[in-house]
Amino acid sequence: MADKTDTATPNPISAEFLLEQMRGYVAFGEQMSKLSEQIHDTAQNETDWGTVLRQNFDRFKAAIVESADNPNVNPELAQLWTQTLDIWQQTVTSLKGVGLPGEETDAWLAHREVQTQYLGLLRQSAGAALDLMEQRLSERATTGKVIDSLRELYNLWVDCNEQTYGRMLRSIEYSEFSGRLFNSLLRCYPKGAIVP
Amino acid sequence: MIGLTPERIAEELRGYSTRITEGMETLRNIGEIGTGASPRDPVYQEDKLVLYRYQPRVAEPHSIPLLIVYALVNRPYMMDLQEDRSMIRGLLDAGIDVYLIDWGYPDAGDRTLTLGDYIHRYIGHCIDYLRDRYRQDSVNLLGVCQGGALSLCFASLYPDKVRNLVTMVTPVDFHTPDNLLTHLIRHVNVDLLVDTFGNLPGGLLNFAFLSLSPFRLAGQKYVDLVDILDDAEALRNFLRMEKWIFDSPDQAGEAFRQFAKDFFQQNKLVKGEVMIGERRVDLRDIVMPVLNVYATQDHLVPPAASKALAVHGGSQDYSELSFRGGHIGIYVSSRAQREVPSAIAAWLLAR
Repeated sequence: MADKTDTATPNPISAEFLLEQMRGYVAFGEQMSKLSEQIHDTAQNETDWGTVLRQNFDRFKAAIVESADNPNVNPELAQLWTQTLDIWQQTVTSLKGVGLPGEETDAWLAHREVQTQYLGLLRQSAGAALDLMEQRLSERATTGKVIDSLRELYNLWVDCNEQTYGRMLRSIEYSEFSGRLFNSLLRCYPKGAIVP
Repeated sequence: MIGLTPERIAEELRGYSTRITEGMETLRNIGEIGTGASPRDPVYQEDKLVLYRYQPRVAEPHSIPLLIVYALVNRPYMMDLQEDRSMIRGLLDAGIDVYLIDWGYPDAGDRTLTLGDYIHRYIGHCIDYLRDRYRQDSVNLLGVCQGGALSLCFASLYPDKVRNLVTMVTPVDFHTPDNLLTHLIRHVNVDLLVDTFGNLPGGLLNFAFLSLSPFRLAGQKYVDLVDILDDAEALRNFLRMEKWIFDSPDQAGEAFRQFAKDFFQQNKLVKGEVMIGERRVDLRDIVMPVLNVYATQDHLVPPAASKALAVHGGSQDYSELSFRGGHIGIYVSSRAQREVPSAIAAWLLAR
């Protein structure tokens, strides 16, 4: 009668998933590699580290913006900061029942529009995070603190994104937006369509 | 200042890729991920609910049993995740006779279940089962998170049946300024949601939780995974937690409708306006001793949301236990194992 364990299930993380995560980190590393190379080149003629950083960080920001405008340019880089939208889309796809609503309906188009707005919000947050990251790097320079590993840079980037994303999340506008995101999806389905 | 060169970054990325590649082998051979460390016996069943009794770990456990009511969201094995991370084991070791309700996985047949079913019927029947079995008028009740809110309702409606009430990371005031879940759901058309889906899909809840901290929860956590890929035991622990996070039962539609609207959107619990069936919940009717356990860094149930019980509850014997940690850490961190179950047990044994 004794029931020692709740359940035993296969490992929830696939190799494919792990590789996908790795590609995102590598994409970040490639951008940081370019940044460090440019900084190194600029520093030959410019001694003020703040100026060097400012001149070159803009190129990193441009790469991020480019990945936002056209995710096909560098999908791995885009995926780093669009993941909440990706998770939303995966969730919508996984909803059981009648499957995805017809993409030609007005309701679906309206939901697509809300998703586009979502991407815009994420883009703003990601941009603000890069500004914050640049500021943090400058502050470190004034205190002589050196970042000497890619992981440390990545962690800084994560911290900055969490901070600016969190600020966005806590806004009244985002609360209203969250309602629009859910409600616009729900309007794509006839009432009771997915009731199992 | 960035002290990195492209060569250094390339070297770091090569090392990262190598560790991932080697770690794949560990991942492939990791086997099944089990949860639940402590032996237990099913003692009562009703619909999908199973009431378990955990096998005591002392010769003579405390004469008043403790019923744990977990949230409807996620699965209750978080309370007994593995041998060295088990709130339940800590309670058993301290001499408590522990029972736990497993709600199971609601399906289409459960979409009309109401909060009345969960509180009057399911919790009520489990409490009555224990009262009969132990020949006691009242037993101890411990509610976790949303299960704490359900336990508050039960204790308010049936104060004579609850000897002592423990609430853990339980929301009471849903409209404190830092309550992000309320913030996300405030403008959602809950009626449309339930009318469309019947039961609320667990995946939508997962999205809501991940969206609170996506860069850490859906990115950094997996980048950091590389550090433990060569350690099978650490990896197994990580995967066990992953399994729990994504093991999200659907929510019975009508119960979710009322919980989302009355608790989250309209904050009726602290206003004394929640109706469970025909009966109104008044927190001032909670007159038995109460221990309110909260986590100081809880991003899902902020401390202020829990501590509101001090103001709105009716107990003259009210205590708080503050744990320095988060919503999950309070169950699974090493410090939690040392601090929380022993404190709860001591509080119960003194009453």
